[in-house]
Amino acid sequence: MEELILKLKKEIIEVLNLEDIKPEDIDDNAPLFGEGLALDSIDALELIVLMEKNYGIKIKDPNEGKEIFKSVTVMAEYIDKHRTK
Amino acid sequence: MRQLCITGYGVVSSIGIGKEQTLCSLLEERAGLVRVKYLATMHDEFPVGEVQLSNDEMVASLGIAPETPMTRTALFGMMALREALADGGLTKEDISHAAFVSGTTVGGMDKSEQYYLDFLENDSRNAYIATHDGGACGEMIADHFGRFKTITSLSTACSSAANAVIYGSRLIERGEVDVAVVGGSECITKFHLNGFNSLMILDRDLCRPFDASRAGINLGEGAAYLVLEDAEHAYRRGAKVYAYLTGYGNACDAYHQTASSPEGEGSYLAMSKALNMAKIEPSEVSYINAHGTGTRDNDSSESAAMRRLFGESVPPVSSTKSFTGHTTSASGAIEMAICLLAMQHRFIPANLRWQKSDGCIEPVKSTQRNVELRYVLCNSFGFGGNDTSLLLSKYDGYEPKYDGSVAQEEICEEKVYLYAASQISVQEPLSEAWMDNPLPVAEGYNRAIEPDYKQFIQPMEARRMGKLMKRAVAVSSDVLNKSGVAMPDAIVSGTGLGCVEYTELFLDPMCREGETLLKPTYFMQSTHNTVSSSLAIRLKCHGYNTTYSHKSISFDSALDDAIMQIAKGEVETAMVCGFDEVTPSYYGLLKKIGFLGQPGEPSGECAVALMIGVKDKTDKKPLCRIAEHRLLYCPTDTELTEAVSVILADSSIDRSMVDSVMLGYNGSDVVDKRYDKLLEGPLQGMEALRYKNLFGECYSAPALGVYAAASCLAKGKVPAFMRRDGGEGLAVSNILVINYDDGKDCSITLLCSDC
Repeated sequence: MEELILKLKKEIIEVLNLEDIKPEDIDDNAPLFGEGLALDSIDALELIVLMEKNYGIKIKDPNEGKEIFKSVTVMAEYIDKHRTK
Repeated sequence: MRQLCITGYGVVSSIGIGKEQTLCSLLEERAGLVRVKYLATMHDEFPVGEVQLSNDEMVASLGIAPETPMTRTALFGMMALREALADGGLTKEDISHAAFVSGTTVGGMDKSEQYYLDFLENDSRNAYIATHDGGACGEMIADHFGRFKTITSLSTACSSAANAVIYGSRLIERGEVDVAVVGGSECITKFHLNGFNSLMILDRDLCRPFDASRAGINLGEGAAYLVLEDAEHAYRRGAKVYAYLTGYGNACDAYHQTASSPEGEGSYLAMSKALNMAKIEPSEVSYINAHGTGTRDNDSSESAAMRRLFGESVPPVSSTKSFTGHTTSASGAIEMAICLLAMQHRFIPANLRWQKSDGCIEPVKSTQRNVELRYVLCNSFGFGGNDTSLLLSKYDGYEPKYDGSVAQEEICEEKVYLYAASQISVQEPLSEAWMDNPLPVAEGYNRAIEPDYKQFIQPMEARRMGKLMKRAVAVSSDVLNKSGVAMPDAIVSGTGLGCVEYTELFLDPMCREGETLLKPTYFMQSTHNTVSSSLAIRLKCHGYNTTYSHKSISFDSALDDAIMQIAKGEVETAMVCGFDEVTPSYYGLLKKIGFLGQPGEPSGECAVALMIGVKDKTDKKPLCRIAEHRLLYCPTDTELTEAVSVILADSSIDRSMVDSVMLGYNGSDVVDKRYDKLLEGPLQGMEALRYKNLFGECYSAPALGVYAAASCLAKGKVPAFMRRDGGEGLAVSNILVINYDDGKDCSITLLCSDC
């Protein structure tokens, strides 16, 4: 799981172009939206693209994303359970 | 004040080719939303409102030679314009005195996405490179019927056509023309179907505006044009009048790039402005044709705005997007056509498939007949919160108030001053260093020099911005600082090609890998008005916000619009921007069609911001006064000579007092010869200046021409290297700036140092 979390952080930084942020700056359990990284609705859409592209997970409703993108840990757990690639 | 009326209109959409079919579909509650048929997309899960005609059928119907490069957007435009001109009884001769203002976002994208790889890899489809941009689209539509006096195009996403109505109205109010044909056209493309899909706002079922279960948009397509006319002119020529246009309002929601504010600030302001202008009370409105896209967000925001304005007694509302789908840039004009049909035939169109409220307004569920519609409001909102509302009033017969003479008080206009200007280009950015130490500019592709953006943009914001957006933010911040204006009343921009970088980043994978997993960030920034609305969002500026996109007069159209508003006293300050970028690969395409990359010609990129306003608006001394500004389309030498004389006469400046004329010499043979010819004819005896030797060529280069001339006037001197024929530095107090690169679109600006 730790490996997946690190990989995921790197992917988030890349896809959201978070230039000045390093994987260690992202708290595993801090919220990604609102506080923490303070991402917004467009970032959520970008993460949905990431989920499908890298892990084969299709999210059809953006509201579903809200639960899954609570923190990097939650995201990693969800990926671990549902990934198709 | 001139009164505006509508004397003709034409419409094409999924519910009908022409007014008659459209009327039948509306009355019979027959929607045009079906499975995709004409667009070659894999996304057949989304119902669409396609115009039920193939390109070949339209080409045949319009009598166009089969091999002519045509785009679907242009063909729709011609179909609708043909009906509008016939309905308005306008001849070729009438057209030559009229303006044409058209809105589109995708322009020729249907062909660009089809031939994108050919553009890059071979020469088989080069003709379609030139039909890509919005300006080309507007000209293809207009030129099919003759030569209009002036033409421009604008691009504010889904409110484009509605904003075209506003600009056309201003041209008539100023007395520039008596007739303006206004509207918009848009075909569905894979580009924006996938773009909206990446934003997850397309409904897989038929759209249900304002319904509790609404889940997004069905895309539609089509075109409509209205013949907008000075009422007295219409009376004199005995034209039939359908309705008056008595109010219009444009405001920026200034909230988010793709979401509407919960309280609907922008739409509330737009509707309020339209009602105020018409001097009517909210309770007098008989019907509102809502923007009503069917997204969760729009419909609740628009409902909130309506409740704020109308209180508990919101007039009957319907979204006819439940029939046509969302026809994006054309929707403002298509829905105005629907409103005109409704007024004429005394009915309120239904909001189809509405079942249950979740707090949104409750729309009209089925067609209401035998209703008198006195005042009708038509809403169109676009990306970035570009919100426009138009108000139609019933026609009760017209009595001319005076006998053909223009009332004296109309001539009294506010003078317009240029307070500050800033540029990012191939010269030292945000500086006038070029006047003393010009950087050499090479033939071929030149990238703009970027300043340090950290002082203007936080990293969390910068991460999503393309280079054009960053440049625009930097120059606008700089011009706000320099002018001492904290918040402009209006932001008006021009761009020939918009965000090329991000458009390419979206298009490239779509064409190579297919229609999956495309990035919403790139799509959002691909619309031309993204930059203007982002500036408004940063400033929380709810004022007028529009973006023009018509080749080399994009910036000039923006300037024209802003000047008209200041002159009329509608706004006191306006930020006017011009920006264009190229990428190495797009430069290659433009070189193929001869727009850039001619021998001897440097290409450039630029972002320019000007702050203009009424006298004494800030304690800063203006750089110069903008005495006159005019746009012409394909003027003959005689017309151009006349226009220059009129401009000088209007501003009481003797020809001998115009020291010099700033021209768009760009080093290419064709363009340079054209300007030489002007100096032998209409501009005889004037000292020629050039600026593209310093800044390079791009669609927004004319913004740099005005910027450079203003900088010279502020210093009282033109550097020697700007003189076409060489010589010493030149003292200046009045400069004409003329842009006539392609021999079609022409702009004339007179700048004076008397301030």
